[in-house]
Amino acid sequence: MNISLLLAANSIAFGGLLFLLSAGFSLIFGLMRIPNLTHGSLFMLGAYFGVSLIALGLGFWPAAIVAAFGVAVFGGLVERLLLRRLPGAELAQVLVTLGLSFMIADFSLMWWGGDPISIDTPRALRGATFVAGLGFPTYRIAVIMIAVIVAAALWALLDWTRLGAMIRAGVDDPEMARIVGIRVSRLFTIVFSLGAGLAGFAGVIGGPILSVYPGLDQDMLPLALVVVILGGSGSLIGSFIGSFVVAFLYNFGQAMLPELAYVVLFLPMLVVLVVRPEGLFGRAAP
Amino acid sequence: MASEALLLADIDAFFADSHVLHRVSFRCGEGRLLGLLGRNGAGKTTSMNVTVGVLPPRRGRVEIYGAAVAGRSPEAIAAQGVALVPQGRRIFRSLSVRENLAVAARKPRGGLPLLWTLDTVFATFPRLQERRDQYAGTLSGGEQQMLAIGRALMSNPRVLLMDEPSEGLAPQIVAEVMATIRRLKEQGLSIVLVEQNAKLVFDVADDIVILNSGRVVIDATAAELKSAGTDLHQHLGIY
Ligand SMILES: Nc1ncnc2c1ncn2[C@@H]1O[C@H](COP(=O)(O)OP(=O)(O)O)[C@@H](O)[C@H]1O
Ligand SMILES: [Mg+2]
Repeated sequence: MNISLLLAANSIAFGGLLFLLSAGFSLIFGLMRIPNLTHGSLFMLGAYFGVSLIALGLGFWPAAIVAAFGVAVFGGLVERLLLRRLPGAELAQVLVTLGLSFMIADFSLMWWGGDPISIDTPRALRGATFVAGLGFPTYRIAVIMIAVIVAAALWALLDWTRLGAMIRAGVDDPEMARIVGIRVSRLFTIVFSLGAGLAGFAGVIGGPILSVYPGLDQDMLPLALVVVILGGSGSLIGSFIGSFVVAFLYNFGQAMLPELAYVVLFLPMLVVLVVRPEGLFGRAAP
Repeated sequence: MASEALLLADIDAFFADSHVLHRVSFRCGEGRLLGLLGRNGAGKTTSMNVTVGVLPPRRGRVEIYGAAVAGRSPEAIAAQGVALVPQGRRIFRSLSVRENLAVAARKPRGGLPLLWTLDTVFATFPRLQERRDQYAGTLSGGEQQMLAIGRALMSNPRVLLMDEPSEGLAPQIVAEVMATIRRLKEQGLSIVLVEQNAKLVFDVADDIVILNSGRVVIDATAAELKSAGTDLHQHLGIY
């Protein structure tokens, strides 16, 4: 298998992972206008929860789901207890979420130690699957499929359910939504928890590919930022396509221009920010 | 006094430090239509905001069918059966027409029959049915007003507040809106109709309250005011 094909296959899998991470970031930023800088930490926390749950004897998938649930609850508490008190104060939100991410990093270092921990690929998904005569790592194909399923489910939730319409109404005009009887604050907690849970889930799913280590949080957060800026905040399709674009830039940049990997990654973001601030798929602010 | 659908008593309300409502009191009897008049800036919208819980009053009582609601959240007050057609319509622009109605759907209180559903709102406003899948932001002003009324009705309210529903609409559409209001009144709904245009209100109202600079200056039945030939110009500006 030639090297760029392998890179491409890995990029697609990494893109799937990035989508699981950044969909929540995008929803939280697009719908609630909260720049959640703990998002990378939630990813890492999910991965560490997964490690501990697997050590306790849980299977990989149950551990992923329980870890996602745990991170969702943690995210919900952060929203209820902290961010709830800072409506519209974006600078305060940035500082609080940034401070929290440092605290999570410290706590994780204390609890899980400083060495990288790898998560074993689930047994059924080890090895390669042959597509058109080419062998691809089975686990990475599974990651892509999970990302596609989650994307479809999120899209259906937001666009096709009454709950989704209520969330969008709460974004359009929160005060009017409350007058109509919609419990906007509860919906925002749900959105935040959902985004956090997805990030935690992604952390476990990413474990067999990335492993878990101190600093994973700060490695992932910028990627989510780039995805959301490229794709447009609040746009699911934007996050989806942006995730794959970023994964390709990141993987190929590291392989071909390792000294300039971050330039390859962030330059397109700067260009988009200047030329089309709403992102490639975002709607301009009304 | 259980026949009181809505009661405001001795309301003081502020925007930051500016004192906007001064001891405002008025009531809307069950099944009656109260016309709330006053010139621009008199405090009509503020009274509505106090009623729906968006602006908690600094003092005074708000009661819905005898239940004290002052200081409670807008969601809780909506659950008491209060619906608002706000000034400026404030439909959810990025939702479809159908979604605007669906998000407001609520069963009536106390197991009463379900009067308003998507179907009955569409039957009342056929234009909305035609545009059901369109984004609400693309509707004309008149259609948006119909949607705002439909959205309020979807909660099957027992008190309907309408804040200047004729504002900015062409005369034939105003006539349509007024006909709708008449029909709702005939169905027994208790309605507060806020207007600057006194003529529109006197045609349909049972009772009239006039606000001036945040104070109630007239509180009477429409019949009394008509027979007394009270000169309202000083309170309402020129027509
Ligand atoms: N958001 C606001 N901030 C500060 N003052 C306001 C605000 N809205 C209204 N006011 C003031 O409150 C008073 C009453 O306004 P309002 O209730 O909107 O009047 P009306 O609906 O009768 O035209 C006015 O003097 C207006 O200047
Ligand atoms: Mg007004």
